[in-house]
Amino acid sequence: MERRSFVKGTFALATIGLLNPILFGHKLYAAEEAVEMPFKELLDEYVSGKKTEDGSSIMTLNIPEAPENGSVVPVEVTINYPMNKDNYIANITVLTTKNKANKALSFDLTPANGIAYLYVNVKMGQTQDVVILAKTNKGKIFKASQNVRVALGGCG
Amino acid sequence: MELRGTVKILDQNYKVGDVVKAKIIVIHKMDTGFTKDKESGKSFPRFYMKEITATYNGMIVAHFELDVATSTNPVIQFPFRVTDAGTLVVDFINSEDDKAQKKVAITPIS
Repeated sequence: MERRSFVKGTFALATIGLLNPILFGHKLYAAEEAVEMPFKELLDEYVSGKKTEDGSSIMTLNIPEAPENGSVVPVEVTINYPMNKDNYIANITVLTTKNKANKALSFDLTPANGIAYLYVNVKMGQTQDVVILAKTNKGKIFKASQNVRVALGGCG
Repeated sequence: MELRGTVKILDQNYKVGDVVKAKIIVIHKMDTGFTKDKESGKSFPRFYMKEITATYNGMIVAHFELDVATSTNPVIQFPFRVTDAGTLVVDFINSEDDKAQKKVAITPIS
């Protein structure tokens, strides 16, 4: 191989290497730091000035107290509440308290669901609470929480 | 990017009027935007499953808005009442606006 072509070739390869993040795959790195979502802000936004009622009597939570791994924590909620046409649970939201981004899931229900039930996997960076918020169609908000001990955290 | 997800009805012998549970599994990253590359020190962008909508015979029975505190490869179960034979259509949208659709037949025994 001639020296000239060898040098050209290496330069071409190096350029492809530099352009790699642009050529392949959508964004490889974020342009800015991600925004944190503190628990308090999320709660205030959801509640928006109203009072929350204690929902521990009507909600049955099935969450392991000490899961093996914080990156997959199964959260199961059953809410004992009528699902009639004019009186039903319209939204269930699952939040965590000490992750950097605390919103896990928001679930909109209708009377067509029959029962108010939700199962979802949540990830947790450290020992903290899982907070379940349920809103009825009339704007009443129920709140229940459970502490979860996490020994090995998932990226939070 | 192709989205991979499945829908499954957990109950087997159900009649019209019964409440059944459906299970959704999505194979998807849930990058929070806080994890950093060890070599370059730059953070990976927030990249997650954003919305899942389940429609049963033309009526929305479940609408989920997910965020980054959901685990990687989210698993969701939700109930709905069977009113008729038909299909359950589930639409997936992620934060990059990639879309996918999955269908499952609802066949109640008579």
